[in-house]
Amino acid sequence: MEKRTNSPFPRIDRPVLAAIGIVLVGATVFFAWSDRQHDYKYYQYAFRGMVAEKLGAERAATVPSGLQQVWVPGLRRADRCVTCHQAVSWKGFETAEEPHRTHPGDLLKSHPPERFGCSACHGGQGWAIDTAAAHGEVAHWEEPLLGKPLGEAYSLTDNKAALMQMNCNICHRYERATKGAEMINLAKDLVQEKGCRACHVINGRGGTIGPDLTWVGDKAPEQYDYSRLSGQTTAFAWHVAHFKDPRALVQDTVMPNFHLSTKQAQALAMLMLSWRKAPFDAAFLPGVPRTDPQTADERKAEEDMKTGPGAWFVQTGCFVCHSIAALKVRSPAQIGPDLSTAVEDTQKRFGVTVDQFLKNPTGTMSVVLSRQIVLTPEQKETAIQKLREAFAEYQRLVAEGKNPLAPPVEAAPK
Amino acid sequence: MRLPFTRRAAAGETSPGVHPQPLWSYRPQSDREAGDAVVSNLLLHWFPSKVYKPSLAWNYSAWLGTISGALFFLLVLSGLPLMFLYVPSVERAYQSVKDIEYVVTFGWWIRAVHRIGAHLMVVAVVLHLARVFFTGAYKNGVGQGQQREWNWVIGVVMLLLTLFLSFTGYLLPWDQLAFWAVTVGTNIASAVPGIGPRIRELLIGGRAIEQATLIRFYVLHIIVLPGALGGLFAYHMWRIRKDGGLARADAAALAPDAKDTGPVPTKTYTLLGVARGTSPAVTARSPEAPDQTVNAVPDLTRRALIVILGTFALVSILASAIPSPLEEPANALITPNPAKAPWYFLWLQEIVTDTTIRLGSLTINGAFLGGVILPGLLVGLLTVWPWLDKSAVSTAGLWFPRSRRRQNLLFILAMLFILAFTFVGMFMRGPYWNLYWPWETWPGIPGRI
Amino acid sequence: MSDAKQPQNTDRRDFLLKLGAGAGFVAITAQAGASLRSLVPNVTYDAPTTVKVGPPGEFPDGLKFLPDQRLFVFRNGKTFHAISAVCTHLGCTVRAEALSRAEEQTIDGQPLRLTHRFMCPCHGSRYGGDGTNVSGPAPKPLAWYRLSVSPDDGQLVADLADEVDHSFRLTLP
Repeated sequence: MEKRTNSPFPRIDRPVLAAIGIVLVGATVFFAWSDRQHDYKYYQYAFRGMVAEKLGAERAATVPSGLQQVWVPGLRRADRCVTCHQAVSWKGFETAEEPHRTHPGDLLKSHPPERFGCSACHGGQGWAIDTAAAHGEVAHWEEPLLGKPLGEAYSLTDNKAALMQMNCNICHRYERATKGAEMINLAKDLVQEKGCRACHVINGRGGTIGPDLTWVGDKAPEQYDYSRLSGQTTAFAWHVAHFKDPRALVQDTVMPNFHLSTKQAQALAMLMLSWRKAPFDAAFLPGVPRTDPQTADERKAEEDMKTGPGAWFVQTGCFVCHSIAALKVRSPAQIGPDLSTAVEDTQKRFGVTVDQFLKNPTGTMSVVLSRQIVLTPEQKETAIQKLREAFAEYQRLVAEGKNPLAPPVEAAPK
Repeated sequence: MRLPFTRRAAAGETSPGVHPQPLWSYRPQSDREAGDAVVSNLLLHWFPSKVYKPSLAWNYSAWLGTISGALFFLLVLSGLPLMFLYVPSVERAYQSVKDIEYVVTFGWWIRAVHRIGAHLMVVAVVLHLARVFFTGAYKNGVGQGQQREWNWVIGVVMLLLTLFLSFTGYLLPWDQLAFWAVTVGTNIASAVPGIGPRIRELLIGGRAIEQATLIRFYVLHIIVLPGALGGLFAYHMWRIRKDGGLARADAAALAPDAKDTGPVPTKTYTLLGVARGTSPAVTARSPEAPDQTVNAVPDLTRRALIVILGTFALVSILASAIPSPLEEPANALITPNPAKAPWYFLWLQEIVTDTTIRLGSLTINGAFLGGVILPGLLVGLLTVWPWLDKSAVSTAGLWFPRSRRRQNLLFILAMLFILAFTFVGMFMRGPYWNLYWPWETWPGIPGRI
Repeated sequence: MSDAKQPQNTDRRDFLLKLGAGAGFVAITAQAGASLRSLVPNVTYDAPTTVKVGPPGEFPDGLKFLPDQRLFVFRNGKTFHAISAVCTHLGCTVRAEALSRAEEQTIDGQPLRLTHRFMCPCHGSRYGGDGTNVSGPAPKPLAWYRLSVSPDDGQLVADLADEVDHSFRLTLP
């Protein structure tokens, strides 16, 4: 017999190998098992039972099983919501519990899921197939489901499910009013009424005193200053608080407090967050021009202001806060007093002449004239001259028996 | 255990000069059969037929090299299905990774195996390097033609390749973590004076991290770097054979109580081309002494199997237990707060935070000192260390010998320093890179809604 | 040999070896199988087979080619039918060529006005106006698909999964 060197190693090696082999088999079984643990299997089973009970076994056999998705190439969305929410396009489950409820309303007729998917309107994470991840309640997903629970967390005033209207307005932003989006419509009315454009550019039109708001919804949440905000630190909460009292969040802001109600502030915050870029085909835009249109009257009033006798006040930016009614200049915000009577008014308010006040302003005007509207000494002379002209016109109109301080009829606010 | 297709010698075949050649035998009946099992097997042919016994001890090498190799193998295997499923395009990369996570059967597990395996490989390779350093295993012993110092240099290059492989893989999911880790990492490269910006431009194929970067990193990650690492791995193993096995073997031969065994037959050496020259290392005190060696089959193969299967099992379990993160899609407009490099580069990120130097009007960017000079110096020192180490040959292959105490202490200090900075970077840096204790909670990160 | 003296011991060692190596082999085979399973798609990114192709009134009399669906939609007054543009040989898209003179024929017992014939650019298969293969390698006629009208918005709906025979017509009221 040939020589054989025996293994000198402890016999424990063999049992160790056996144990490791068994652990490896266990590990393999474990991951194969955990791959099968998904809630959707139960939900699909339950829905099949519901269909069988209500519509018969034959229909139940047509309920698809396994992972389902709506793939919308134009929106780059693959929404697997229908894996659990199978009843969406089935009739007869209007009163069932979620996830087995028929989609309410007839919105799906104009927005068929195969063209729009689910998450484009509802938010959430369409890729995911488990509840928490799909509803966006996980780390690293910034688009939570815009449903009632979130609306309740923000204590929305009337309709707790209104947050979804933000997503309506991503496509419908250039419409004056969108059917079904009351909060957004309210906010759009407020934008017109309060004259936000006096200070802010929106869709390419407006003043430059405040920041451009056209894509404000894309501003990163970290870019806001939350140091004076209590409660939730989110961009939405910031906007709501800021609309209610701008100075409480940004101390030296010149944005006026419009004394908005909670509902109005929430509506405007939703409008702000809805102004964002979204990648979609032109085909997804409803057939409206890519700007919100002005009425002919509005255009005429704006043109008159720009070219009329008060043009200098419009160009310089005084009109943002002050009307000069005698020269037919109407301020959208009307924060400051009418400048038609400034020559008299400065004496009354500050005890100085208009010349002295402009050279040495006090109060709010000292901030405005040092930061927002900086005038050279020559321009100040012009200002004084123009103010005198305005006052002369005012006196002339008073002498004629008119009241020039009443706003011109055609530009009266709604 | 004998596999059914192996052939045993029939009685008539055992005539002189003719011996049976079984295809493969897990439990050979004789030493010659054990040697044949190695020589005739493709997978085993890189082993010698006989191995010096203490080289196999768990407490000498901890089998860290084998673990690294097993992890590399596992990474190649798990990378294959991922290559089929992943799309290297900025429009679809993130989406395809989400698909792997959510709708591909076992996709999450394959991705987790790849990710955990990559992290563990960095750990295993570093520990392997540390083991070789502590045991002075880069020192040449008694054999002829030994060039262990060059195998050490190759090992250092393989460590760098491992880190670069992991780093290139980091970008592929195209999420915020990936995008900003790579932004920080490649900007360190641009801190090299003069040519820095050009190096970065070459690396990322432009001035911004874009499609060109993604495809570059992808090709590096799946072809260039694994190919280079695989080639060097083969050479690394071959050199171990050429150098006469582990340094432990030489240590035993040089030990003062080594028995004089007289000349021993070493012809397998010449057959396998293991030693140089016409007269291979036939010494009276060869570590190949019969009572000091064991057959590679099955004693080496069994332990190798334990280590490889054990590594697979560990990775498999960790992959099932630890979900792989995927952050928000990459967004060049928003830097996450804090933005961190991969953990094995965090010590560098921590150092570049603290090394920007201002002397009057002269400002040296910390990225140059901490990101280029310091790691360059460390890698350079590591590379040339075998030539700086003047300790006696007899200390090779032993853990913490007295005469190498000073350099081992230095190495431990450097490791502790790196570990401490890694720890600070991982657990103590919060938003705006502010220091927090690990148990302190960071201020909440604001969300959109 | 010492092993020979302890047959029971050898059996136990052999068993443990087989168990360890065998379990490892089984597990790794299973993991390789899992990796292969990952390549079987669970969700489809294909276009849906039921598609709305537009209001019937927008279709011209005669033929309209829908490149996205690879479908010819024919209109003759209030009557519609749809023929696939996928060659039955190896799947290239066939081209339609207008006949110099439209012919009236009876196909499957239904009258049909033939206005075009179809030719495949890949291997020269030719089809008649109702999709019948005339010459070339094509093994069978072009497929006809079901058309219907959507109850929601009155658009024409093509069902690319529902093949119909050549007597099919959609006639609007």
